[in-house]
Amino acid sequence: MPEQIRRILGKHGRSPDELIPILQDIQAAFGYIGEPQVKAISRYLRISENQIYGVSSFYAQFRFTEPGRHGIKVCLGTACHVRGGGTLLDSLEHGLGIHCGETTEDKRFDVDRVACLGCCALSPVVQIDRDIYSRMTVNKLTELLKNYE
Amino acid sequence: MTREKKVTITIDNRKVEAKANMTILQAARENNIDIPSLCALEHLPSYGACRLCVVEVDGIRGFPTSCTTPVEDGMVIRTDTAEVRTLRQEVLKLLLSEHPASCLFCEEQTDCKNFQGTIRKVGVTTGCRYCPNDDMCELQEITKKVGLTETSYPVYYRNFPVEKEDPFYDRDYNLCLLCGRCVRVCNDIRLNGTLSFKQRGKLTTIGPAFGRTHLEAGCEFCGACVAVCPTGALSAKTSKWAGKPDEIVESTCPYCPVGCTLDLKVKAGEVVDVSADYDSPTEHGLICVKGRFAIPEYVLSPDRLAQPTILKPEGYDLLPWEGALDEAAAKLKAAGPKGSFIVVSPQLSNEDLFVAQRFAREVLGTEAILSPVMFDLGSDLRPFLDLAVLSESVDTIDTAAGILTIGLDTTYGFTPVGIAAKRAAKRGAVLVTVSTDECNLDMLSEEAVQSDPAKWPDFMEGVMKSMSGNGTRKKAASSFFKKGDRNVLVIGPDAIFSARRGEIFESALTMRDSLGWKVIVCHPYTNLMGMLAMGAFPGLKPGGMRSDGALKLKDPAAVIDVKQKWKVGYFIGEVPSPQMPGCDYIIYENALPAPSGIDPDLVLPAALFTEAPGTTISCEGKILVFNKASAPFADSKPDWWIMSSIAERMKKGALKYASLAAIQSEIRKSIPGFSGKDRRVPRKKVAMEGKAAAARNPHGAGRVMTPLETFRGVALHDHVAGMKAIEERRRK
Repeated sequence: MPEQIRRILGKHGRSPDELIPILQDIQAAFGYIGEPQVKAISRYLRISENQIYGVSSFYAQFRFTEPGRHGIKVCLGTACHVRGGGTLLDSLEHGLGIHCGETTEDKRFDVDRVACLGCCALSPVVQIDRDIYSRMTVNKLTELLKNYE
Repeated sequence: MTREKKVTITIDNRKVEAKANMTILQAARENNIDIPSLCALEHLPSYGACRLCVVEVDGIRGFPTSCTTPVEDGMVIRTDTAEVRTLRQEVLKLLLSEHPASCLFCEEQTDCKNFQGTIRKVGVTTGCRYCPNDDMCELQEITKKVGLTETSYPVYYRNFPVEKEDPFYDRDYNLCLLCGRCVRVCNDIRLNGTLSFKQRGKLTTIGPAFGRTHLEAGCEFCGACVAVCPTGALSAKTSKWAGKPDEIVESTCPYCPVGCTLDLKVKAGEVVDVSADYDSPTEHGLICVKGRFAIPEYVLSPDRLAQPTILKPEGYDLLPWEGALDEAAAKLKAAGPKGSFIVVSPQLSNEDLFVAQRFAREVLGTEAILSPVMFDLGSDLRPFLDLAVLSESVDTIDTAAGILTIGLDTTYGFTPVGIAAKRAAKRGAVLVTVSTDECNLDMLSEEAVQSDPAKWPDFMEGVMKSMSGNGTRKKAASSFFKKGDRNVLVIGPDAIFSARRGEIFESALTMRDSLGWKVIVCHPYTNLMGMLAMGAFPGLKPGGMRSDGALKLKDPAAVIDVKQKWKVGYFIGEVPSPQMPGCDYIIYENALPAPSGIDPDLVLPAALFTEAPGTTISCEGKILVFNKASAPFADSKPDWWIMSSIAERMKKGALKYASLAAIQSEIRKSIPGFSGKDRRVPRKKVAMEGKAAAARNPHGAGRVMTPLETFRGVALHDHVAGMKAIEERRRK
């Protein structure tokens, strides 16, 4: 077991209630929950890998693929949805050749959808890393991505 | 005063008694009050998923689900008020909003069932028949019970691809109601944990992690999920379209000595499917893939031998039984007592084995009653038999404080043993696993030792040292076991067929006899106990296994010289193998052909355990029954009938049986245990004469690689499609 996983597990007890705190720590450390991590948790908490996956796939906060260097989040809350957030997501998925929740092969971008970023007046909005971009269009977004390597 | 506490409750104006720890649903069912439910099931923990079992309870707000509400003294419950009925109908409508409902609400339903005069004639994919479970569907029954005749919601078809890539069963989650029965049976009863709810909301499906196949995720293919599914979402590949069985016949699994009870499902005179019996005292319904899925395809194989055949220079020629028996008798007679041997399968019934040994001794006049057990184990036969004959029952594990498994993986066999070990580990027993690779018990083990089988005897040495000596106690895996505790050692197939097994067996014997360990041996020889009890073993007379004294065996090498030149070999339910002696003429009596490369001179088709009744003895000494579920295939005959008929031609009157009952009455007379009420044979320590001879045993080292899963010498994967994938994974 890699040292990093061992250290995270060591901070927690071995009761199954610890699963979600462990998953959160793993996600914080690795950026995602991968197969080796799930296997290590399985042996530590004595619950099957499949059950761990079942729990973690229920929550939107956990991801199972390695994140890209830049994370794109398309808002699909009510206001953004009405003003074309879905089209933005479609164009991104098409342009990058990946589905929502996945990472491009060159690890440059990953794409996710979020329910609301809390700035509906600026809709439709897209978040890249920690920056919010307002009144997005497909063209503006395509241009914008060129700034990220 | 250990009487269980009782409470009095009122259900639908009836005062009834119930145990204090029961739920309302259990109390109602016990008193024949029917509350509809889709997710609750005996043996499974309550879950409250389907909401159909709602009831009214005085003093409880709203409508509690009866499957999750425990009874309390003085509770007043109403299960069938107008309000409850309406609520149930509404709940069912919501459930059905994600389940194709054409078979539930159709005006032509009756005509369609009776005459198939409607659209149902069309194919599954284009027509209205979405699933193979028609007439066996709990959802259909519940819909009738709840009285729903139409639904007001549109049906949303989720359009999940049907999953067919795994062996043995298909999964169509478009039909799934998410009742969670399969998830619970997999996690809480089988302790396997392959199935889990994935995602949430309308995207929820059931399956393993990371989009793995069930095979990759460690599924045992026990079929428990298929059996509990109330819809057609899960269905067995081979039997899904067979329809409702005509008859269910209780029998015993012939594939290993655990002796699980099986319910054979018979349709139109054929065994089409098998289910487990959760009330069986031996394995509690925890059967493995072989018993669950590998029987119908084996007994109904298109390769079944239908008629006697004889090898001619131009190929095989059909032969009537009369001619075949004459031929066999003539060849055996010509070979004489010195020139012929028989090989019996340890998977034959007691009756067949009893007749076989009489045939060899009284008709052929030889002690050459050979079996694969001798050739597989070679010079390690004595310690193996000593351990196997006194193998403990599975439930010994339930009270163990420490469990050590060596070379055991119970994914595809010996599942009752594996699940008992997992259960024990969950309640706090120390479980240590020793295997070559990761094994299915590792997740719950205190320590999982992965090492080369050549190191296993040393590991056992370490265990013994740390238990008997009071030397320095390192925190090594071998020091988990304490003297005076109830410790159980389980020896698995990978240990039995490893190169240094002689030392493993000897260590196990020391642990058993000097250190108080209980030993369980998981070996593939189904009726090994029957072989010994019936005396189908060189130098061992029938009834040699008694309650007084040790079971005295002679080293087979001292009784017969296997290396001599043989004229005729008579293989009864067994396949000639390179380890067995060669001979000029092979009589092959079996249900399926020998693998290519072996061309027997005379082939006699035998009936199988589903067709010819009999008894077998489990590893714990219980006498179990094979019941007849169908007629013998084509022109095949029971093994005892064939032997008895050949005998009649060789030596008139020497050995003649008209019926199975005649053999059984003789067995009752001469074999201890068979006449008693508890249907158990006595088991004693094994003593083998001519111990020194073991070193120069002509059988040599025997088999040192875990064999393929076989029945009567024939590999299961040659005839059962799904076993190919299983064997590949076993040998990965």
